[in-house]
Amino acid sequence: MPRPTRLPFGLAAAMAATAAALLAGPASAAAFKCPHVGGDFVFGQEANVNSLDQPASSTISTRNVAMNIFETLLTRDENNNTITDLADSYTESPDRMTYTFKLRQGVKFHNGKPLTTADVVASFDRYNKIGLERSMFNNVASWDAPDASTFVIHMKKPQPTFIELLSSFSVPVVIVPAEDRDDPPMQLKTIGTGPWQLVDFVPGSHVKLKRYDGYAPNTKYEQRTGFGGYKQACFDTVTFRIVTEPGARVAGLQTGELQGVEDLPTKSLPELKKDKNITVVPLPNWWIQIALPNTSAPPTNNLMFRKAVQAALDMDEIMDAATDGNYKLNVGFQYPNQPSYTDAGKETYNLKNPKLAKEYLAKANYKGEPLVLLTNKDYPSMYNAALVMAEQLKAVGIKAELKVVDWPTSVTTMQNTTTGWNFFFTGYGTQPALGALATMVFFAPPNANYKPAPGKDDPDLLAAFRDMNDQPDPKARQAAFARMQKIILDNVYAVPFGSLTKVQGVRANVGGYVPFRIPRMSNVWFKN
Amino acid sequence: MAGIALRRLLGALPVLLIVSLITFALLRLIPGDPSSVIGGPSATADQLAQIRRNLGLDEPLPMQLVHWYAGLLQGNLGRSLLMGQGVVEVTFERLPVTLGLSLYALVITLVAGLASGIVAALRQNTWVDQLAMMVAMLGISVPNFFLGLLGIIFFAVKLGWLPTGGYVPFSQDPWEWFRTTTMPAVSLAMLQMGLLARITRSTMLEVLRQDYIRTARAKGLPGRQVVVKHALANALIPITTVIGIIVSLLISGSVVTETLFSIPGMGQLLTQAVLNRDYPMVQGGLLLTTVFLVLVNIMVDICYAFLDPRVRYDGK
Amino acid sequence: MPAGAPLEDELEVPERRQSPLRMTVVRLFRHQLFLSGLVLFGLIAVVGVLAPLLTDINPNKLGMRTRFQAPDAAFLFGTDNFGRSLWSRTVWGAQLSMMIGLSVVLLNAVFGTLIGALAGYFPRLDNVLMRVNDALMAFPAILLAIAITAVLGPSIVNAILALAIVYIPRTARIVRASVIVLREMEYVQAAIAAGAGHWRILRRHILPNAMAPLIVQLSFLFAYAVLSEATLSFLGLGAVPPTPTWGNIMAEGRQYMVEAPWIITIPGIALMITVMGLNLLGDGLRDVLDPRLRIQQ
Repeated sequence: MPRPTRLPFGLAAAMAATAAALLAGPASAAAFKCPHVGGDFVFGQEANVNSLDQPASSTISTRNVAMNIFETLLTRDENNNTITDLADSYTESPDRMTYTFKLRQGVKFHNGKPLTTADVVASFDRYNKIGLERSMFNNVASWDAPDASTFVIHMKKPQPTFIELLSSFSVPVVIVPAEDRDDPPMQLKTIGTGPWQLVDFVPGSHVKLKRYDGYAPNTKYEQRTGFGGYKQACFDTVTFRIVTEPGARVAGLQTGELQGVEDLPTKSLPELKKDKNITVVPLPNWWIQIALPNTSAPPTNNLMFRKAVQAALDMDEIMDAATDGNYKLNVGFQYPNQPSYTDAGKETYNLKNPKLAKEYLAKANYKGEPLVLLTNKDYPSMYNAALVMAEQLKAVGIKAELKVVDWPTSVTTMQNTTTGWNFFFTGYGTQPALGALATMVFFAPPNANYKPAPGKDDPDLLAAFRDMNDQPDPKARQAAFARMQKIILDNVYAVPFGSLTKVQGVRANVGGYVPFRIPRMSNVWFKN
Repeated sequence: MAGIALRRLLGALPVLLIVSLITFALLRLIPGDPSSVIGGPSATADQLAQIRRNLGLDEPLPMQLVHWYAGLLQGNLGRSLLMGQGVVEVTFERLPVTLGLSLYALVITLVAGLASGIVAALRQNTWVDQLAMMVAMLGISVPNFFLGLLGIIFFAVKLGWLPTGGYVPFSQDPWEWFRTTTMPAVSLAMLQMGLLARITRSTMLEVLRQDYIRTARAKGLPGRQVVVKHALANALIPITTVIGIIVSLLISGSVVTETLFSIPGMGQLLTQAVLNRDYPMVQGGLLLTTVFLVLVNIMVDICYAFLDPRVRYDGK
Repeated sequence: MPAGAPLEDELEVPERRQSPLRMTVVRLFRHQLFLSGLVLFGLIAVVGVLAPLLTDINPNKLGMRTRFQAPDAAFLFGTDNFGRSLWSRTVWGAQLSMMIGLSVVLLNAVFGTLIGALAGYFPRLDNVLMRVNDALMAFPAILLAIAITAVLGPSIVNAILALAIVYIPRTARIVRASVIVLREMEYVQAAIAAGAGHWRILRRHILPNAMAPLIVQLSFLFAYAVLSEATLSFLGLGAVPPTPTWGNIMAEGRQYMVEAPWIITIPGIALMITVMGLNLLGDGLRDVLDPRLRIQQ
């Protein structure tokens, strides 16, 4: 019989929150209540939403909307700690071979059907067929539902990181009605348990949601936190409108046509900040702007050459152009506000030392071979970073040239070929937010991002990655991460430029809007 | 008439077959696949591979071609890879948007184009004529995306009269539909309006020079009646053919306009589908659009034959 | 075919006047529309040709300290989001536009004429060629161009190829129409009867007389090509950025259209002048060369 080895995370967090609130002063013991109910909140979203099938899609644009509709057993709070959401509690057996989840009572789907563990089993079954991160179940033997409120996962072998993976919001295992078990990929019926239910979805135009009156909030909490907590829908309806033109998003916010928008261009900020009707809300650490070398092709197969590139770069200039000034310099793959942050390898960062670069070039015996920067125009920050990087490399005598294609082409080129390109430009968004382990997967075989020849992954790096996964002690796992980050930076297996701030904005009469990994529509209201 | 229509329809079949083949081949030659779009920048290699499996993209090409034609024979155009909806279903959702917009633009085109063309012809070589022709020249020379951008800056941002983009269906709120589609429709109509004004003017001039108009005038018929009854009726014949061209230009123009103003019509759908490598959507959507254009042209030909009894259609 | 030769000479070009070329040129230069078109288009063409003399600033040179400068004495057309000189970019853009337009026109002149002549002259080829032609024309032009550039990858050469492929069927159709008419002319039939070779008939009797509508079409085509390339670039499918085509400048500037409207306005106006010049030029040519064509386009 498994015994509860630790307090459920959620409960602990809630108690901690309560304790903090008590210390802070007279706490409102009551849960959040909408100060005002009603209205249609129109949110201008930059990227098109194609599908709301959350398990089959990992784009941010899908998650933005879908995670207001669907919920998961476990999720993350405001500080990325694992908390329970649809699960009331969970326990891990001492041998780490069994996880037992108890469902929260009184939860109903948008079609009125009560949630039972049969739905959980079906959702896990579907995810295991088509879910993009189904590899998290590699060490899972089976799952079953002994009764309507108990769900059990049986492991093949212990995996210390299992709960971390299961609570990930990258491609979450959302719980859907059992009858949707066989919905083909991209065709999931949009019925969840969240505070918002779907009214109308026209890809390329908008998604309209309305308050789900039968929603049962998680009473373990009093406030919204992260993707979970105590959620209440205060607006009658929420409309995500696709507005791809940045100028149009700004104008829409100014005229009040849109009540909230994401990704405001920096150039417009001074004017917006002056506008009393608008509140600008920056969302720091949205992603790590990064370039990845192809270590299988000359000249980037040469460590000395890669070090020359590293030495030449001025990160302020690159990030300034990439983000129009909304950035923070940042060493490595985590952010300073995260527990897993480390500045290991910082001596390789932002050197802006042309002299050193030229010394490395001499050591590399560089003869003016072309260096191809593979970037795309679909994500302006990636294009801009490449443009400035090329300029800086030319200044030290490297024959840098841009290869600008569209996003799908650049990804396919990067994945399938090791010729014709030397640096691939992208952004690491979700993974760094999820933690060190999720991010380091990019450097693990197969298909490590630095493109080693098959089977020729850096052995030191491999060993560090294994330790990150297998060490039972969290401290040892963290030490392994610091080691891995240093190896990556020392060998220039990646060139992380810095962290990008995404600036959002809402009308001043909007209360409770706090930017997060998704625009959360719960516990947000119109003042007055 | 029915004979002409039938003959033209049969004649269109090989064209459609070639269209579908070209589309299939072109699309598969485009590097990249939809997985990177569904995955986004943060997708790991593992996730991308799973997406490809989910979408059946790991199937060999010849099999994909066989499936596509087999489906076509059963009237099944497949499903959009990204949206999961049926291609026909999506098309019938989007086509009315483009048609509504095009119709609005067509009305602007016809009213403004015909009126300025007729007035210019009647007042040949006066300042009215020159002004009308200058506007027409501007119309055919301004790129419609530039006009759209200027419109956004001026009417939406500076004056705040019209929304910057977006779309509200007519059935939901006619006034909002009107507000959201006015700027796109005008920027779409400018080119066609210019074309039509120029053509109307020159046909009118030609017709006005004809003997029967002079006779009518000599008989003492009032000027307006001559213009409406005789001149315009005859000038309509060549103008009808131009309308066929205009409809196809409108569909083409909607590609840029809909993208610029975030209007969920066929133009935006197909552009996005090409850029996202949504193979079935492009294949099916283009086929349906082509069928639609062919039908419009057949209709125009029939109108033409109807309006001008001298033309006996020989199928050439 | 020695027997055919004298006969052909007699038949050559009916009603030949005193130096028709000179007459045409004189009439063109008396034509107001043609002249104003020539001035506008000539302005852009000259700027394009003289680009290296008009600016010594590299159009791709970044100036991170001089970003978003409004047009003033230091920066005649201002600077863009990377601090690049828009004067230099616009001037080089003129050269690229001329190059692109000219290339598309030349490709059309060669292949459009070839296909159109073959289809119009040899009825057996007509069916096949025109079916493919119809199929290509059935696509909305810009979508076909998008698909082709997506296949070939974005670059100037590929944009030229894509636009050529899109427009050649249209040119071919016009040539074919003239050829069909000319082929039935008595003097051509007589030449055929006299046993002249097909190639010779096409070259000496048919094509010279099909030139007028072709030239008019090509002048408008130049305008479409410049416009379509700008549209492709604007959609991110034309020349590879940071190549300073007008469409690219506008595509990069559209993010800042509210705060720095000059970035999109200046190349937009340049584009408009070019297209308008070409349209006027085409109008003039049509009036003088081929009055019958007035109602088609």
